[in-house]
Formats: sequence, structure tokens, C-alpha cells
Amino acid sequence: MSAVFDGNPLTVTMQTSLAHTLQNAFSPQELAQEIKSFISGVDQNQGRKLSVREHARCAIRLLRSVPACRGAVLEHLRGVYNEHVSAFLHNLETDGEGDGDSNLEDVITEVHGVLSEFIRLNPRAWAPLVSTWAVDLLGQLSSKHAGRRAAPHSSSLNELLQLWMSCAATRSLMEAYTQCLAAMIAWCPDQCVDALLDTSVQHSPHFDWVVAHIGSSFPGTIISRVLACGLKDFCSHGAAEKCQGDKSSRVPKIGSVVGILGHLAARHSDSIRRELLRMFQESLRPPAITPSSGSTSWEHSVQLRRAAVPFLLQLAALSPSLLGAVSAELVESLRPSVLLQLQAVLQGLPREELDNMLGLAVHLIAQSPAGGARVLRFLADTATPSIISGPTPSPHEGVREACDRLLQMLLLHLHKLVYTCSEGEDGYYNRPHSPSSQAPRVVPFLEELQSHVGELCAETLRLERKRHLWLHQLLCLLSVYGGHSVATEALCQLLTLARNPDELALAWQLHTPLSACLPGLIPAAVKRCVAQVHTHTLGPKQLCQLLLNLASAVQSVQEEERRVQGGGAGGAAACPKSSMAVQVGAAVSGHLQDFCPLLLHCDPAVSHAAVRLMSRSPLPRAASPSHLLLICRAAVTHFFLALRRRGDAAEARGGQGGEAVNCSVLLLSRLAGYSPLSLKCVLQQLVEGALHKGNADLFGGQSEDIGGDTPISPSLTPDRGGSLLDINCKFGTTVNFSGSVWSVFHAGVIGNGLKQRSPTPRPEPASVIQNVQTLLAVTVQCCSVPPGNGGNGGSARQQPSVPSEPPPIDAEAAKAMAVTLVEYICPDVANGELSWPPEEHSRTTVERDIHIRRCFEAHPVLFPLLHVVAAGRPALCYCSAVLRGLLATLLAHWEASREPLAVDSPWQLQASCMLVSCMGEGQLLPPVLSNVHEAFPYLTPFEVRLLLLAVWEYVRGNGPMPQKFVFNSEKGLFCRDFSRDGDVARYVAPIHSVLHKNIDRLGHLCWRFQL
Amino acid sequence: MMGDMRQSLLRRDALSAAKEVLYHLDIYLSGQVQNSPSPSVDTPTLELVEEFILHRRMSALQELQLLEIMCSCFQEQSRDAVRQLIFSALFTLQGNQADESRMALLGKLVSMAIAVGRVPILECAATWLQRSHTVYCVRLASGLVDDYCSLLPGSMVPTLNNISSSSPQFCCQFITAVTTLYDLSTEELSPPVELLQMVVSWIQDDPRLVLVTLLNTPASSSQPMGSLDLTPLAGLVCWCVKSPLAYRRDRKQGLSNGMPDTKPEAGPLFSALHLSVLQVLLLLPGVLREKGLLGRLALMQPEQLTSLISDLSRLLEELNPLQGDTQTHTQLTLERLAQALQVAMAAGALLCSREDLRALCSHLPHNNLLQLVLSGPVQQSAFYPHVNTPPLGYSPRPLGPHLSAHSPHPTSRSPHPSSYPSYPSQPFIAGMAFPFRPSH
Repeated sequence: MSAVFDGNPLTVTMQTSLAHTLQNAFSPQELAQEIKSFISGVDQNQGRKLSVREHARCAIRLLRSVPACRGAVLEHLRGVYNEHVSAFLHNLETDGEGDGDSNLEDVITEVHGVLSEFIRLNPRAWAPLVSTWAVDLLGQLSSKHAGRRAAPHSSSLNELLQLWMSCAATRSLMEAYTQCLAAMIAWCPDQCVDALLDTSVQHSPHFDWVVAHIGSSFPGTIISRVLACGLKDFCSHGAAEKCQGDKSSRVPKIGSVVGILGHLAARHSDSIRRELLRMFQESLRPPAITPSSGSTSWEHSVQLRRAAVPFLLQLAALSPSLLGAVSAELVESLRPSVLLQLQAVLQGLPREELDNMLGLAVHLIAQSPAGGARVLRFLADTATPSIISGPTPSPHEGVREACDRLLQMLLLHLHKLVYTCSEGEDGYYNRPHSPSSQAPRVVPFLEELQSHVGELCAETLRLERKRHLWLHQLLCLLSVYGGHSVATEALCQLLTLARNPDELALAWQLHTPLSACLPGLIPAAVKRCVAQVHTHTLGPKQLCQLLLNLASAVQSVQEEERRVQGGGAGGAAACPKSSMAVQVGAAVSGHLQDFCPLLLHCDPAVSHAAVRLMSRSPLPRAASPSHLLLICRAAVTHFFLALRRRGDAAEARGGQGGEAVNCSVLLLSRLAGYSPLSLKCVLQQLVEGALHKGNADLFGGQSEDIGGDTPISPSLTPDRGGSLLDINCKFGTTVNFSGSVWSVFHAGVIGNGLKQRSPTPRPEPASVIQNVQTLLAVTVQCCSVPPGNGGNGGSARQQPSVPSEPPPIDAEAAKAMAVTLVEYICPDVANGELSWPPEEHSRTTVERDIHIRRCFEAHPVLFPLLHVVAAGRPALCYCSAVLRGLLATLLAHWEASREPLAVDSPWQLQASCMLVSCMGEGQLLPPVLSNVHEAFPYLTPFEVRLLLLAVWEYVRGNGPMPQKFVFNSEKGLFCRDFSRDGDVARYVAPIHSVLHKNIDRLGHLCWRFQL
Repeated sequence: MMGDMRQSLLRRDALSAAKEVLYHLDIYLSGQVQNSPSPSVDTPTLELVEEFILHRRMSALQELQLLEIMCSCFQEQSRDAVRQLIFSALFTLQGNQADESRMALLGKLVSMAIAVGRVPILECAATWLQRSHTVYCVRLASGLVDDYCSLLPGSMVPTLNNISSSSPQFCCQFITAVTTLYDLSTEELSPPVELLQMVVSWIQDDPRLVLVTLLNTPASSSQPMGSLDLTPLAGLVCWCVKSPLAYRRDRKQGLSNGMPDTKPEAGPLFSALHLSVLQVLLLLPGVLREKGLLGRLALMQPEQLTSLISDLSRLLEELNPLQGDTQTHTQLTLERLAQALQVAMAAGALLCSREDLRALCSHLPHNNLLQLVLSGPVQQSAFYPHVNTPPLGYSPRPLGPHLSAHSPHPTSRSPHPSSYPSYPSQPFIAGMAFPFRPSH
């Protein structure tokens, strides 16, 4: 409409716009007729009944021209819309069989056109009117037809939405409403949304699709309004009332709010989250701020502000998706200042309500599916008292206490959830399915935390004041909740991460309550630790720590046992720690073979820790031979490694090296005592190892003399990925260690050029002696353990270095050594029988004999070893061939020697002396003959040869046969009764001759050769 | 008898009961008019009306039917007195709870009567508007404005326009109510342009429309307390004077909102209205003299003037003085004020001294014309109209050009009649018949 004002004639022309004029060009009389027709439904001119369509058209005309008819027309249109929906649904139900009165659709379109034109032309007047009408009608339609067969159940919003949006009537209403809302949103959004929500409450579940749809068109407005409206409703119902009491009356509105937001959450979760957070923050803002933005009014009511937090909690409790959406950011937003505000706001609430809220909050935390770790950290951070506490409690004290309380309640709540299988009495725990089905209760909070066990453990181990107590408790609950896997994980983590006894104690504290409900936890934990070892997930430090922790756990058992043994009182069972430690020991013992590779770890600390653990852990009750052999091999290898490290470390700093060797010795001796098999294996390995060219230098040997290759000791080679040595050193179950493996050395690694012939630094004589001593000590110790003793008693034995009474060497053990020695020194088995041939026959074995002698030259340690063998009578008999070969070469040397004195051939002299004394020790020679070596240094080579010949003769005459030895139970030794052999006298004659000849120098020795 | 009737009515449905009550009213009041010298409606009948017409819940359709029945009922009742009695039985406010539904029903009935051209009802409504309190009159008017100006923007012209010819009485009351309602204090309280157009066209077509109620009211009758003014003159003067400032402000807001201004310009309409108002004022002395009320009836109350001037001051304060055309609008407002004051005083519509006026207007900005009017020679004639010259004596005054006087004319005391065209509305004034004069 426009007005043209043209100056002088001062007339206002009015031009009415287009169609209206035409359509409204009814005379009052016509309009009266029209009204009559509309009321009666009969055409007043022709006197016939109006069809539905004509009637509707008539209504539209009236709507355009007679304002007073508006109400009636809209009411009539309700009927038209309803009819269309009915027809639509009927059509759906009968699959289109009904003729379908769908010609109403054009009427609907017409009505829609008129309405939307009105709204467009004059939104202020029409939008409130039409929006109210449309919403009300939508509500009526959707709840009236909710029960129809074609209508999906009210819970499936999307299907409902699809159905109704495919119906022309409801779609038209929806569009009209949307148009109104778009128009009204600028000036009175409250009104239209309130109407929407009121209708929503009235037609509760059936109407939700409308709100949801509107909401997704106007997310910003709808979400905040819906929240504000829900808050008002919540507040008016009285948040203070008991939640259970008026549930019936409260649920509808808050239920609708939840439903609507839930639907919107799919696509507008960001907005929802923002709005929820905004509501929270607004509610905390000090009320002093005057209403600046008058958009919504709830911020200005103290009561509403106060109810906001309980309302949000309630909302979250009803909708997991909302909870999930908001929980994460909520925690982020809880800064100290916000907390203070929160406290200030909540202080005004009555105690009972606060308790309710606290309970609700606890429940929510327990139910929140994500962000649990953050929540926990926040709670713990806030609840932990600040380190600097002034004389007066800081203002945060209240907040801290509240958090403390919250945390404790949370723990209590979780405790209840975890431990009670039956339905909780509390109203919050109503879960529809749980009482009948035995399905375990799902606690999302714990579910989520299960993946954070590692962090929790690490936090706990920091031992911060109260914090670790909470966390520890939580870990405990988590373990019970998560069952074996989680408990194992937790325990394993604690075992791995603990760095001192205090921290380690946490692991046992965790185990104690769990042991009741989770049997077999420790073995599982240990197994897991082993798995960690296998997968190489741990760094050397952690690995080392883990081993040490296990070792100290095992050790505590032994200390306990020792104390019990010492004290005599039977208090062992009373100590839970010890029982647990026993379990640890047992578990570790089952995995000893898994720790073996660690003995040879390139990091000394790790291998040290490993040997510590292995030396302390009990040996398995029944170990498979393959495992046993593996362990033995590793242990022996480690022994030599430890010796070498001790030597290296002695130069640098010393300390740990010695302890490692001690542990190694302990381990070896216990292994040896475990079973004959292991004993044999250990000894064999020891001997072989000692003679091996890689280790020879430890004991003063020269390796070059035997092989052409330079030995490369493990300590000297840098750990190179492709090292052949590494490959050869690998301890696999299939690797055979006899001889040849060690010699698989080539000229070098291809690409690196020739292998460097690094001159082996000669070890210090002192350390050589120490090494030899250690070797002997371990050998003796191994040999003197009565087999079958088992490893468990081994620790009670005294240290080998100070033998007050040397225990007898076991014959079998000595025999094993002997056999090994022979195998190594004298690989040629021809003429290997025990009995000795005439001396001349030794020509046939010259080459072998030379080999034997060179062997002795290269390995000074052989003599002490022979001594050990000799001590284990009659084992030396089995070395017969070696002795014979050595003696033969010595005889040859002395025969050929043109030196004036025997002293001029020092090695041969010493070898001769040692040989004879050895044979004497081994009772291959009678006492008189065995003393002859005392005279050697004073004699000429020829005379030495004479005496040695006498020795030979004697042995030839009285063969070194084991059966000649008899077990003497008094001494616990085998002894040989020389009286049963032939007369010694004839072998002594040359001795006497030599004595006589040199009586001036040998006078003092005469008594040694008396028969 | 009433009791029996009530019992039988209770058994009926809402619509037929209401119908029955209407029928009863018709018969009963016809009897009253015939038999009683001072017919009135008794309380039981009023209660019956309230119970069965106003309080019964009816659907919108039933209500429409009821309205339709009422329309024909009033239409068919030939006797004015009976009709008035029925109307007042139905709609006279009783100050009870039924008043709300009474107002709602009345609003719809009048709206429908306008649509279908039921003059008798409009006449009744005009009487109702005269007798009821302003608040309710304003409510009725605003309902009608909503119906015809807001909700049905297009339908107003043929329908509502018709009533000025069919029922000038109602029309006059309607304008009074509308001017009371819209005082231009806020945007909501500014008349819709459609309404403005219509009012302007009505008054342009026939300026005496404004005075119909005054003419029809016996000089002796006193008005009920709080009722509408006898004429809309005061309200219309307010509209014209305030409009330059008020609409200036509105447009400023509209522009800042970025909304396209599709409405026709209100300024020219107010300009035309102002002229018409001045013309009507010029008619006034004759009318008043005829009724013997000249100098005794103040059609513009001093309080109205006071509130107008204080509103003006407030509006002037609100305006941004730095804006370019503010000064122009201020001057236009002040000139319209000065013209209205001058003419009203001269016409005897405003009974107050120049000293009072000077005091009232002392805070207003300077304006030559206003200054002149306030300080001008004592116009004895204004105070003693019986003795002095009739308003016609002022006709040579150069009023016309000042209506749209953007270039302030040097107003001198000595008129220059020759230099101005004769006053265009002069012919109206001499010897006009008053067709709306009550016939009895």
C-alpha cells in the first residue's frame, strides 16, 4: 500500500495492493452471506451442502476479510488438517488402497499460502497468532494419531519426524511455525518457545519431534530457551523437594527437555555444550551485575540462579549424552575463581539439598563415560592440601574440603558399586535390567579409567600426602572391578615403577585386599612382567628396577624364613607379606628361564639385577631339562662375564662387580645342588668356559697358542647389530655348545674389512689369581653340594671364600669335571683307556701328547682344576689319558734336556711337580711316590726323569682304576687301600738312589720317602 | 420465572441457551420500553446474560454463530430504544469478572458489524463508547485497529472506510479512542500508517465528522467520569504537533536496524491532518455558539496541553541536536504548536491565559511564530467571545503557507491579505448545514 501525497489538492490517494482488493471486494451483504454459509456449511445461494473443500475455501475467504471470524476459521481449519492427517495415515495403513481423500492437499496448500502471506506481510500481528495455533494443532495431531498403526513409536524421533514431514498437513504447520518463529525471534522469542514447550509438556512424548525439528532449525534460540524453561520449571517444582517424592510431576518437563536436547545433541552438541556451560557460568556470576543483555530473564532471579547447578546436575543425570557432552569442558572451566563462586552460590543452599547434590554429583562422575581421568585429576589436585599453608586457612580451604569430601564419597560410592552385586537401595542406581540378569554392573567411570591404570600407578607412586591414599584405594577398586586383567596390570605397573621399598610396599598393600577375591594374582602379574621383558617394552633402567623389585620381594621371604628359623617361633604364617612373597618367589621360579637372557644383557646393571633375582629366587620344583640346561648355560656364561666385569671395574671403581660375582657363584652353586643333571651341566660348562679361548686370559692363559684367531671377549666388542658373535652367543634351546660353535669366527664382518687383531690386554696377575680362586671356589662349592639337596637350602651355606672345614668333594661331580677336562684337553679318544701302557708305547701318541702339553701350557688353570678333580676321588682316574700324555711329554723333555738343573726349565718343573702332587692327591700314587715332586727343584733333568719314570712304572703296574677305591663312610670319601696293590718298594728304589746321590741337598727330605 | 427459565436453559447446549437468552432479552426489553416510562434492565436478567452468554464456554465456531445471531437480532430490531437497551444489557460494564468476556465478545461483535456493515450495532457501539470508561474504549479501539489495520491490511479500505458514511457517530468515537490510545510516546504507541491514512481521509472528506458527538450531545448532559473526550481534537493536535519529532526518532531506529522502510511517508499525512484540524477548529465557534457553550466548554483541557508540552520537551531532549535536520523538525513542531494554540484560543477551544501559556512554553526552544503567539496583543476576543469578533475576523491571517513553512516567513503584525491566496476552506465555514444533527 502506498500513499501519494501531491501538494495542493491535499488529497490522499490510496492504492490498495493487488489481490487483496479483488478478493476483498465483497460487499457487506456478500460477507454476511459468506458467514452464514460458513456457519451452516450450506451454500446460501444455491442451497446445497458445501464440500469439505468449498467449506475450507469459504473459511479462507472469511479469514481474509472478516477478522471476527478468525477464531472460528482457524478452528474449522483444525478439522480440515485433522481430516487430511487421518486420510494420510489411512492411506499409509492400507497401502494406498483407500481412494485417498488427498485432494485436501491443495486446500492445505492454499491455507498455507494465505497464512504465510499474512505472516510475511505483518509478522507482528500474525506470527504470534499462527504460531500458537500451529503448535497447538501439531500437538493435538501428533498425540491424537500417536496410536495409529502407521505411526512409529514415540521414542524413535527420527522416524516420527520422517512420517510427519511427509504429511502435507503437518509439514505445512511446521513450516508455518518455523516462519513465525523466524519472524518472532527478533522481538519475543520467549513467548513462542514457551508456547512450544508448554505444548510439548502437554503432549509430552508425541510432540518431541516438533521441538526437535524446530530446535535443529533454530539451535541457538531453542537450546537456550529450552534450558531456561526447564530451569524455571525445575525451580518452580522446588529443587529442595526430595527427588523421589515428586518425580511424577517433575519428570514430564525435564524429561522433555532431556529428550529434545538429546535429539539435538546429534547435530548440535557444540551449541548444547556451550549453552550448558554458559548456564553454569552465568549462574555463578555475581548477581551484582545489572542485566545488561535482557535476552533471557533467568539470570536475574536469585532463586533461579541458585537452582541452576542442581538443575544441570539433574539434567545430566537423566541424559548420558548430555553428561558426556558437558563433563569434559566443565572440568576445564572449574578454575579456582569459579570454584570460589560456586562455593559462594552453594553456601546458600540447605544442607539436605547439598547432600543430595553431592550424591548426584558422585553418581554422575561414576556414570560419566569419558573424561574420568581428567575429573579424577581435578578432584585430586583440588583436594590435595596446598603445600604452603599459612597461619590462617586460605579461602580455598572450603573448596578443598568440599573436594576432599566429594572424592571420599566417590570412592565410597564406587566401593559400593564394585562390591555389592545386589541392587543398590539408593534411587540413583535404578537400572532396569540388573536385578534379574546377572550381568556385571557397568560403571563407566571405572571402565574408562581402566585404560589409565599406568598413569594412576605412576601417580600413586609419587607418594604425595593424601593423594596416593586415594589413588591407591581407587586402584584397588579398579582392580576388583576390572578383574584379573586390570589387577594384574596394576600390580605389574607398581612392580615395574617402584623405586624404593616404600613404593614397593604399595604393591603389596594393593595385593592384600585383592588376594581374597582374585586368586592367582601374583603369578599373573609376574607373568605379565615377564611378557614385558619379552616384548622389550621396558628400557634398561626400568628393566633393572623391575628385576631388583622382584629380587627384593623374594629376598624378603628368605629373610623372613631365616628369622623364623632363628627365632624358632612359628610366626611365619602370621605374616601376610611373607606369604605373598612366597608366592612371588614361586611365580618367579616358574619363569627363571625367561630371565636367563637378561643375565647376558649388555647393560651390566640389568644383568646384575637379573643375577640377583635369579640367585635369590627359589628354583622351580620341577623344571624341564631343557629349561634347566638353558639356565645353567646362561648362569655359567654370566659367571665369566661377571668375572670379566669385575676385572674391568676393579680398575675403574670396583664395588658392584664383586657382588655380581658373589651372586653368580651363589646361583651356580644352587643350580648345581638342584639335581645331578644340573650339577653335571654346570660343572661341564664351567670347565669348558674356563678353558674357552675367550675366557682363557681371565685365568692367565694364552689363547693364541691354540687357535689362530684372536679371541674377542664380549666386553671388548661393541654391541653391533650384525655381530656373528652375538648370533653365536644367543642362547637358544637348540644351540649346542660343544666346541665348534665357539670357533665359528671368520675373517671379519663383510664390509668392515679384516677383523682387527686387537692385542688382548693382559689382566693383572692379582686379578688372575683372584679369578682362579673364584673359579676354584665355585667349582668346589658346586662339587661339594650333595646332589638332590635342592636349591632352596643353598642360601644358608657359608661364603665359599672362607672355608673353615672344606666339605668333601663329591665323587660324581668330580667325575663329571674329569670327563669334561678330558674331552676338552684330549679330543682324540684313541688309546683313551684308563690303564697305562709301558712308557715306550708313548711314542705312538706323541702328537696327542704334545697337544695335551700345549693345552696345559696355555691354561695354567688346568692344574688347579685337576686338583679339584683329584680331591674328588676316584675321579682323577678318568683323567688318566691326560695325565699320561702330560707325563709322557714331560719325560721326553727331561730326557732331552741338556740344562744342568731342572730349575732351568721352569714350566716343565712346575708342571711335573703339579702333576705328581695331583696324582698323589687323587691317590693314583701311594704317599711315598706322591712326595717325589718335593725333590724336583734340587735335581738335574735326568734325575727328574728317573723319578717320573718311577711314577709311570708304578701307575702302569697299579692301574688307576676307580674300583680300587672304597667308600669310607667316616670321612665321607673314597679311599684307596694301597696295601692291596703290589709292593711299592721296587718303585721306590730309583728314588732312594737319587736321594743318595744328592744326599747333601736332599737330606732334609729323606723322611718323606720312608716306607 | 427466572428460576424456571434458568433450569431449562441449563439443559440446553451453550449456543441455543445463548440464543434463548437473546430472544428473552428482546421480548422482555420490548415490553419494558412499551410499558415503563424509564426502561431499565433488572439484575436477574443481567445475571442470566452473564451466565449463559458470557460465561459459557463456546467453541470459536459457536461463538461465531452467536455473533451472527446477535447481528441479525440487532438488525431486525426496529426500535432504537429497544436496541440500545439490549446492547447495554449485554455490554454495559458491570465491574465484575464477566467484563473480560464482555469486552472480548463486544470486540468481535463490533469487528464483525464493521465487516458486514451492521449500522445499528455501530450506533449502539458509539453510544457505548460515550458512556464507558476510557480504558475500555481504548481497548475496543485497539482491537479494531489490530483487526483491520494489522491483521487484514488490505481489507480496511472498503470495509472500515464505509463506516464513516454509514455511522459517523461511531467513526467519531473511534477516532477519539484511537487518538487517546496512540500518544506517539513510543513506537508501539504510534498509529499505524494505515490507520493514519484512514483517519486523514475521513476528516478530509468531512471535517465535521470530528464534531459529531459534540453536536449530538445535549448541551446540558454531563459526561460520565473518565469517559472519552467529546471530540478527538486534543488528541489530533497532539498527533500533529508531536509527529515531526516522534517519527523522526522512529525512522532513526528503523534505519539503524537496517530494515527497509516500506511504509508510506507519515509526514505528509500529518501535514494534511494538521490542516484539517485547524479547519475543524475554525468551525468550532459556530457550533459552540449554537449550543450556547462558547467560552464555557474547553474542548482542549489545560492538563492535556501541559502534558503535550512536557512530552515535547522530553522528545526534544531525546533528539540528537547534532543531526542535520533536527532543527527543521523542531521548528516544524513548534510552529504547528503555535498555530494550533492560536487557532484553538481564537476558536474558544482552549480556555487559558497567555500568561499561563508563556509559563508552560518557557522551556521550549525559540520559535518566532510561537513567540509571536505567546506575546501577541491581548486578544480580548478570545476571552470574551460573545462580545468580540467572530473567528471569521481572523481569516485574513496567513495561515495556509505556514503549514508547510520550511522557510520561515517574516511574520508581521500587519497582515498582507493581498499577497496571499484566499483561504481554501473558507467556503466550508459559511452556512454549512449539519447533517448529523439529531433528528429528534
